[in-house]
Amino acid sequence: MNSNKNTVSFLVSAGSKSRGNYQIPSNSAALATPSVLATRYSTDLMINIAGKEPKIIKGKNNEFYIPLTEKEFLTTVPALSEKSFVLISLFCVQNFEEDPDFTLFYIFRLDGFTDVFAFMRYVRRETTSIATVFPSACWYEREIRDGFGIEFTDAFDKRRLFLHEAYPEGFHPLLKSFKNGKIKAIKNPKEAYPFKKVEGEGVYQIPVGPVHAGIIEPGHFRFNVIGEPIFNLEIRLFYKHRGIEKLAEGKNPSACIPIAEAISGDETIANTVAFCTAVEKISGIEIPERANYLRAILLELERIYSHMGDLSGMITDIGFPRMTTPFLILRENIFRQNEFLTDSRFMKGVIDLGGVKKEISGEALSKLSLYLKTFVSQFESATEDAHTSSSLIDRFSTTGVLKKKLITPLNITGPIARAAGTKYDVRFDHPYGIYKDIPPERTIKIAGDVLSRFEVKAAEVLNSASLINKLIASIPGGAIIAETTEFAISNIPDGYALSMVEAARGQNLHWVYVRNGLINRYKVRTASFCNWQAIEHAVLRNIVPDFPLINKSFNLSYAGTDL
Amino acid sequence: MNASFLLFTLLNTGFILLVSPLFMSLIKKVKAYAQGRKGPSLLQNYLDLRKLIQKEVVYSPNSSGIMRVTPYLNLAVLLLASLFVPVVFIPDAPAGIGNIIVFLYLLAIERFFTALCGLDAGSSFGGMGSSRLMSLSAVIEPTMVIAFAALAYVLRTVNFHEMFAITAGSTIPESPTLTLISISLFIIIIVETGRIPVDNPATHLELTMMNEAMILEQSGKNLALIELTHAVKQTILMAILINVLVPWGLVTKLTFAGLAVSCLYFLLKASLLAGLIGLFESSIAKMRLFRLPSFYMMAFFFSALTILMEVFA
Repeated sequence: MNSNKNTVSFLVSAGSKSRGNYQIPSNSAALATPSVLATRYSTDLMINIAGKEPKIIKGKNNEFYIPLTEKEFLTTVPALSEKSFVLISLFCVQNFEEDPDFTLFYIFRLDGFTDVFAFMRYVRRETTSIATVFPSACWYEREIRDGFGIEFTDAFDKRRLFLHEAYPEGFHPLLKSFKNGKIKAIKNPKEAYPFKKVEGEGVYQIPVGPVHAGIIEPGHFRFNVIGEPIFNLEIRLFYKHRGIEKLAEGKNPSACIPIAEAISGDETIANTVAFCTAVEKISGIEIPERANYLRAILLELERIYSHMGDLSGMITDIGFPRMTTPFLILRENIFRQNEFLTDSRFMKGVIDLGGVKKEISGEALSKLSLYLKTFVSQFESATEDAHTSSSLIDRFSTTGVLKKKLITPLNITGPIARAAGTKYDVRFDHPYGIYKDIPPERTIKIAGDVLSRFEVKAAEVLNSASLINKLIASIPGGAIIAETTEFAISNIPDGYALSMVEAARGQNLHWVYVRNGLINRYKVRTASFCNWQAIEHAVLRNIVPDFPLINKSFNLSYAGTDL
Repeated sequence: MNASFLLFTLLNTGFILLVSPLFMSLIKKVKAYAQGRKGPSLLQNYLDLRKLIQKEVVYSPNSSGIMRVTPYLNLAVLLLASLFVPVVFIPDAPAGIGNIIVFLYLLAIERFFTALCGLDAGSSFGGMGSSRLMSLSAVIEPTMVIAFAALAYVLRTVNFHEMFAITAGSTIPESPTLTLISISLFIIIIVETGRIPVDNPATHLELTMMNEAMILEQSGKNLALIELTHAVKQTILMAILINVLVPWGLVTKLTFAGLAVSCLYFLLKASLLAGLIGLFESSIAKMRLFRLPSFYMMAFFFSALTILMEVFA
């Protein structure tokens, strides 16, 4: 099936075995659980770095919080980089617990550990940047500057991020002192956004967007080209900031479900499951087994239709509509299945705290299972067709190569990272829900070009379909929502939890902080936020007419980035 | 100028103007069927033209007279070129009409003004389209010269009218090498009308476009004229291929019945060709921009091969 010589493909079937080989500093590791191991590891690490035993707070959901003093923090950061920790998120909380100022949470993961490490740093109005050590911190720091007004004094990039020039100076919406409401926009901003300047003979700029020819969301792409080859690309997003994080503040957890659903249209289930999991962990709700199965089925259905959109989009963008049609038809059929199962094509209003809102009958599930058999055979013949078209392979192969060395520093996740030779997948590395017991198959390619992304996404569609069939075959009966949910939510204790899911585009991270029964801070970081920066690198030395194809092969969410 | 030529001018131009949008629709229809869609009605292109003509023209404040003149000029140039390619009957034309070299220059004038027009409004996409068109023209123009030279060499004349008079008289192609030239002519149709795999006429992606990029700034009546020019160009190029390869039905004497037969046959053959173009487009993805010269080289190769065969045969 694979006609490209440059791409070596192999399947890694996951199980408990692949999660077992850590480098553990202790010799009694064999019997310990992953989280005990992670505690031990981080204790040893901190003793090494700071010279004393750290205060480690066990989080509610596979995470550790390690509060650090400023001095400890500054010595820790380079050490973490040396140990190849990956910075997966950085966010700020005002008045965290009894603190009068700001707390920065630096969330790290390390290969081999299912638990993530959250280092806490207490800051006032000014602090220092870590973007030179962890490049992915750059956008987070700019985001925090806009949201909270905290200056990262030694940052190399201090430009605005999500608040464009039309927002007045000194406006920081995530401060607790700011109450949601209308603000006065600046009509003619004095300063223009400083794009990176490239000068020289034959270099010229192509500004594209934010308004595009098709019906897509707004984004500005500033190309610097020499002839057709792209020399530099800068992407500016955040044209439709909705204030999702601020909207959630002060609401009770159930009222936030529609907000989580609205983060990104085709990641509805992923984001809602992540949000609900975080709240359930805080309130101690154990969701019933059947609900866990149903959530996984819906998550995988979402992955299928999302990938189908990407696959058909890629073929459309090389001007090959006849080859696109089978994918579009199959995608539509999945939407109809969604509607049949949940009364909503995008599966809105299904996930609820404590489980799922709508029961899906055994009969409906077996119909789905039956349909998936037809789906798989039609899908296989469509991808086979695509693979045997030489003109298609010619356009896909070697186009838009994403280098493997960028993946970790920029925390690029999802199928695009798996197409570039890394195997990270939240479902394996930090298993949640039913994935702990029934892991999906994992497909990895190494070339990192458009063809690899096409193949990985196509393989993931099939993997998801077979996983759904497996889940339907073994789904238990029983309740779909935990009985104690209502009581537990109305008596929710103060607390916070981090939850991660593997959405179609990669790792989505939600952090919820509940105080006095209401959401005090809700931080969302979708995979797109990190992955957008991958495009800036993948297009270099490609030609301008290939950009739409490269962009489509990533297919990132504008809304999911601009909360 | 004789009466027969005057009548030819009116009939030939009128007929080509009338049927050109139909072939555009037909290609769309075939492509739609290949994708499993119903596609737009065959009259859609006529309706679109009517709609555009009724709309006002908006000019960019940066644009000059080029923008205002080009749509009219290009249509006039193409209508003049259409006189070189008889489809209704072959008249006694005055000297110069039908000359291959003049024909090539007429196409070059059209291309030149289209490229200028793309630059005129000062938008980045127009400039990009013009620069792409011009750099690729450097490859396609010699190819066209060679292809037409081969045609002239095989039929021993540089005048289209005389060529078609020779081919129309025969029931099988005059020379087997004409089949080879037809491949070149087919590629020239694809290239000159900006079709897949060269350019995507249905594209919504401003960054990949070539021909469409240059007319992005056009609107209303001017856009209608440009669309019509494009359709006429396609019909003329199709007519050359048809008259060379399958000339049956083209009459050399002016009679009412002969005229009707000519028109009917042309309509039929051109529809088949349009269907073929639609199928060809559906079977292949758009090529990488820098791969295109190798596609043009195929036309060059077949033309050069024809000349070699004619010389040494």
